[in-house]
Amino acid sequence: MLIALLTILFLGGSSTGMLDYIAETRDNVKEVMVKDDRRKETLGTLKAIKKITKARNKQVKRASKEFRKAFAGADSSDKVLDDIWTGYLAAINQYDHELLELRFQLKEQLTREEWKAIFSDA
Amino acid sequence: MPETRIRITNLGNVCCLLVAAIAFSFAGCAGKEAVSPVDVEYQAFEDLRGEIREAIDDSARETEAIALVDALSDELDALRKTISERKRRFRQLNANYDTSRADFEALVEQVSQEEKSNHQQIVEQHRALLAIITPDEWAEISKFHTKAMKATIKSVQAI
Repeated sequence: MLIALLTILFLGGSSTGMLDYIAETRDNVKEVMVKDDRRKETLGTLKAIKKITKARNKQVKRASKEFRKAFAGADSSDKVLDDIWTGYLAAINQYDHELLELRFQLKEQLTREEWKAIFSDA
Repeated sequence: MPETRIRITNLGNVCCLLVAAIAFSFAGCAGKEAVSPVDVEYQAFEDLRGEIREAIDDSARETEAIALVDALSDELDALRKTISERKRRFRQLNANYDTSRADFEALVEQVSQEEKSNHQQIVEQHRALLAIITPDEWAEISKFHTKAMKATIKSVQAI
């Protein structure tokens, strides 16, 4: 469990997504918007967020496995850990960038009132 | 007749067992409610300290390793708070329709810097542990698993 502990600490806060909950507001969107093309596009954006989040979570799981393997060896060097970390961080940064793109795409699809109604209790 | 008596006795045993099972299951439920995440985390680190004491046969090194585990425990507490606070800040920004992209990017950059600093700290703690613990001891400690630590890690992932 020391290995699992080191791994979660090593991954830090990046092991959990910060804005991925946006994809979980599907029901709110359906409640707030009438069924039309605009709602369809909005739901499409939420679906895209869900898709990249799923890929991100897979990446976290993969990195977690690699870190565990590296930590398990008493001879694991800083370089090995750094290499895994660099690849992992690049993937997380890419996700953050894509998620922000989609968040602002979503903003364009919604009115101020709709946004407030969807995210006030999200 | 003896056969009947045996059956009655068996039935009595079955009833006793059923009552005991029900009582245990209620006790189990009550026990589950009574154990808080803080208690589970405390137990997880107590287990880990116990395993280190068992694996390391040198009191000076053992004390050093325990001190590092204490530091890891503090790190985990800090991580829990950091994740909760970050989520709150991201949600706050997102809830505001007028939040600019620059505001989000500033927070993402701040998080990235915090992550780098955290990464460096854990690398150093890992290095310090490896300096104290022999490869054989490390292998022994690595094999050690507890439900409490598993639950603790899951609770952090679930924030």
